Amino acid sequence: MGKASWIMREGRLRLLLSVVLIFGLLMVPLSGCTTPEPEDEAEETVEEVKDPYVIGAVLSLTGSFAGLGEPEKNTIEMEVERINEAGGVNGHPIEVIYEDDATDPETAVAATARLIDKDNVLAIIGSSGTGATMGMRGEINRAGIPQVSLAGGTVITADFDPLVFQTPWSNALVIPYTIDYIKAQEITKIGLVTDTGGFGADGLAVWKDLAPGAGIEIVEEQTFNPGDTDMSGQLTRIRATDAQAVVMWSAGREAATVAQNMADLGMEIPLIGSHGNARVEFIQGAGEAAEGFRFAAGKVLIPETYGTDTESYQVAVDFIERYTERYGKAPDTFAGHAYDGLYLVVEAMKRLDEGFTSADLRDEIEKTSGFVGIGGVFTFSETNHNGLTADDLVFYEVKDGAWILAE
Amino acid sequence: MGTAELLQFAIAGLKNGSIYALVALGFTIVYASTGVINFAQGEFVMLGGMLSWWSYSMFDVPLVVAGLMGVALTAVVGIVFELVAIRPRKDGNPLALIIITVGGSLLLSSLARHAFGPLEKSLPAFTPGPSFRVLGAAIDRQTLWIFALTAIAVVLLSLLYTRTRVGKAMRACSIDRSAARLVGVDPRSMVTLSFALAAALGALAGLATTPLTQTAFNIGPSFGIKGFAAAILGGLGNPFAAVIGGLTLGLLESMSIAFISSTFKDAISLLVLLLVLFVRPQGMFGRAVREKV
Repeated sequence: MGKASWIMREGRLRLLLSVVLIFGLLMVPLSGCTTPEPEDEAEETVEEVKDPYVIGAVLSLTGSFAGLGEPEKNTIEMEVERINEAGGVNGHPIEVIYEDDATDPETAVAATARLIDKDNVLAIIGSSGTGATMGMRGEINRAGIPQVSLAGGTVITADFDPLVFQTPWSNALVIPYTIDYIKAQEITKIGLVTDTGGFGADGLAVWKDLAPGAGIEIVEEQTFNPGDTDMSGQLTRIRATDAQAVVMWSAGREAATVAQNMADLGMEIPLIGSHGNARVEFIQGAGEAAEGFRFAAGKVLIPETYGTDTESYQVAVDFIERYTERYGKAPDTFAGHAYDGLYLVVEAMKRLDEGFTSADLRDEIEKTSGFVGIGGVFTFSETNHNGLTADDLVFYEVKDGAWILAE
Repeated sequence: MGTAELLQFAIAGLKNGSIYALVALGFTIVYASTGVINFAQGEFVMLGGMLSWWSYSMFDVPLVVAGLMGVALTAVVGIVFELVAIRPRKDGNPLALIIITVGGSLLLSSLARHAFGPLEKSLPAFTPGPSFRVLGAAIDRQTLWIFALTAIAVVLLSLLYTRTRVGKAMRACSIDRSAARLVGVDPRSMVTLSFALAAALGALAGLATTPLTQTAFNIGPSFGIKGFAAAILGGLGNPFAAVIGGLTLGLLESMSIAFISSTFKDAISLLVLLLVLFVRPQGMFGRAVREKV
């Protein structure tokens, strides 16, 4: 027996618990080990260049939202280069310090503290996820600097904080828009399937809040965990009801499994998703089962929907072309959120006088009016820090493996 | 609830259970040869899907070839991992080895993150087509593949253990290392072989699920914990126990969804696991071990 019996002596229960604990730790990938950004190389030309304006970016570059963090970082890197080549902000170059929160709220808090205390940032962009964004709030308040979140949770701006702004369409915006669409299809009974992560849980709460008032009955309510490999059980529960459509609120890769399971179960009713599914990877993962899938999202997926004679169209097409040329693929909606987040801060800086403080910057971001971004046209107010409207959304349908406008 | 629905839940449970079983087999094999829980087992599942995807998209080969390449490459990773990380620790202290596998797990997922990027990858179904109907329940083709691959793996593994010299040598080493060495078996190469087998079985699970669920660099730990739970439930004993453990866990989960709530399915199945262990600490099919001095 010898070594093999070591575990036996310790008792399997204790082994089980310790193994579960260690796996728990493994699920939170190593974090806090961000690569330090190289110092600004412009320092040789000391005389002409003024001190850089430093912005922090807390993004989910690893962990389950890594697919969001990557296009976001790509976008910020590309746009910062462009801004600095064009002379920066009133002669000051922009410097962005990136931190990876590993899709973990606690890591996001630590990263935020570092950016504030060590790097003295003027503002923070991020995080990619709702949970991390909310976690950062304490540090943001301590330092009194503005935060522009790239996450879509309603709670971010509904639980109002004067320092916090948000660039994606929140669930509070998308869900009423989706409800209107569903009603137009004469659907009154839905089965709801959501993930237990921040985005899904937020969506579930908003659906339960708004659907009854709009005359939509949620006949079945099912959840799944991020990482689950099969949702046919949950869907079987929905199939057993008289639901006329399945509504899914989930931003992860599991969404593709839901679509596949529905097709495998032979469910004929439509599957309606969210702006969290506006990703090519969803179509690739679901394959045939993605056909007919419908969801509301911003106009960047089909720029023509902005109207070809609008400024939005010009801005979006220019961004899409530059991004595609540099990274070899078209930007997704998350890249758009990062574009909006960066320019909301930078444009506010441009409007301010030399020597402004973080508090001035916050006030100036709040004065943003009619800023034409990728996600839509932003107008903030003292009570609205989301700034978008339902006019910035359209309904898409997947057809032949690509997005088209749903009728 | 009608028969058709009950059957549907059973199919879903058996499908997940088969995957858990494949992962559990890997735990069992490494445990038998080294006496440690290999925390990198879930990463082998991830690598199986990833490397198959890589072979498929890089070399433009048929899916079956890409799948075999994925499994074979993962087995090579398992061998390298054992040679580089496990073998140099000559005293075989289980605690040290467990920590090494934890580190290996983090290393493998970080490497995959950098080699393949953070986005999810997909593979086409092995045999595309509509699902079959059995007594009103639907059963899709990929699920049948998962059942078949699990069954084949178990049969081959049993044959290996009972009919071949190598398999008998592996069993001999797990029963008594020094006695096996006395009759001319090299225990170290048996450990290497067990890592190769465990990696290949994990990779098979990753390959079989990727068409359904996609794969990504960070899926390892969630497969790992499910497979580990299945292995413990079965009793870490033999391949048969691992399979029963896996299927039981899968069925528990899907019946939790059917009769209680999808929100608590993981909690319920872990609770049952704890209860089983209170009653039978050695698992359902494990032998009670007495320490001989």
